[in-house]
Amino acid sequence: MTAFGCVRENEVMELLRQGYWPDACPEELRGHVERCRICSDLVLVTATLKGERKEAMPLARLEAPGALWWRAQLRRRNAAIEKMARPILGAEVFALAMALVFAAAVLVWQAGNWSEWIWDLPRALHLDTLFSPGTMMWVAIPVLATIALISGVVAYMVSEKQ
Amino acid sequence: MSWESTISNALAGKAAGLVVDAAPAAMDNEEFAAFYARSARPLWAYLARVSRDPALADDLTQESYVRFLCATGPEEGEVAARRYLFKIATNLLRDHWRRPQPASLEEMPEDRFAARCGTAQTETQVMLGPALAQMRPRDRQLLWLAYAEGYSHREIAEVTGLGTASIRLLLFRARRKMAQLLRKEGGA
Repeated sequence: MTAFGCVRENEVMELLRQGYWPDACPEELRGHVERCRICSDLVLVTATLKGERKEAMPLARLEAPGALWWRAQLRRRNAAIEKMARPILGAEVFALAMALVFAAAVLVWQAGNWSEWIWDLPRALHLDTLFSPGTMMWVAIPVLATIALISGVVAYMVSEKQ
Repeated sequence: MSWESTISNALAGKAAGLVVDAAPAAMDNEEFAAFYARSARPLWAYLARVSRDPALADDLTQESYVRFLCATGPEEGEVAARRYLFKIATNLLRDHWRRPQPASLEEMPEDRFAARCGTAQTETQVMLGPALAQMRPRDRQLLWLAYAEGYSHREIAEVTGLGTASIRLLLFRARRKMAQLLRKEGGA
């Protein structure tokens, strides 16, 4: 016997594993187990736990294997779809980033011309044919604001629906 | 391959590469049913006795099998598959212990108590003895795997993620403590 084991421990363990303990084991080994603290601990703990295992197994309330199989299939499919959607999301992020870079470049490029653009907008949209020059800005601004607002709401609703 | 066909294949679970990644040891429905019939009760007993919570063992058993089916399983046969299953269950149990637990009885879900009322007496009789209940969860795990399931030190190391060298010492200490408690119980 050593500090953390006994030289006959494996022998006893093997007999326990094969179910030969105690009936089909040599008398001499049984005598050893009675004297050896380590081997008697091994026998006691193994017998207790094997007994517990035997008693516990019938208590299991198991789900039908088909249901588990189906759940696993669903989870695998969801994972597959998610895996496929990842590059699409990457492409979307890339496209958005490019659009923002382009917009920023235009903003910088046209930095000095904004007032000219705004005052020239009604003429560019041919609004001067619909309204008199005096009322043009009072009509054009609310109309453009309404269009921008509705576009934003529609974009939001579409993205929510997706 | 068009996007439409790729998506429809994925919905059918057969997108290129995905089946290879997902199929555990190429087990079909019938093979799984047979494997389940042989391995589910020992797995449940392990989880129930180590966690000392049969309801939790029910949940973790199911989750273990679902994850087993979703993962890339071992291909060396049923023994390896069973060990892999125990490894999944052990990790799930560890994750459960790491999560913050309800601090009081009021915070515990009611079904935890209601579902088991009818079987309380039976389970008290066969539930882990007071000796095993006094052991630390990790010691219960090691003892169960070694002496109830009969796993070797190397296999226990594989299941628990502990070092093979430390298993021997941990098991020795746990076994000695449990034997002392059992003798005390027996003598009382």
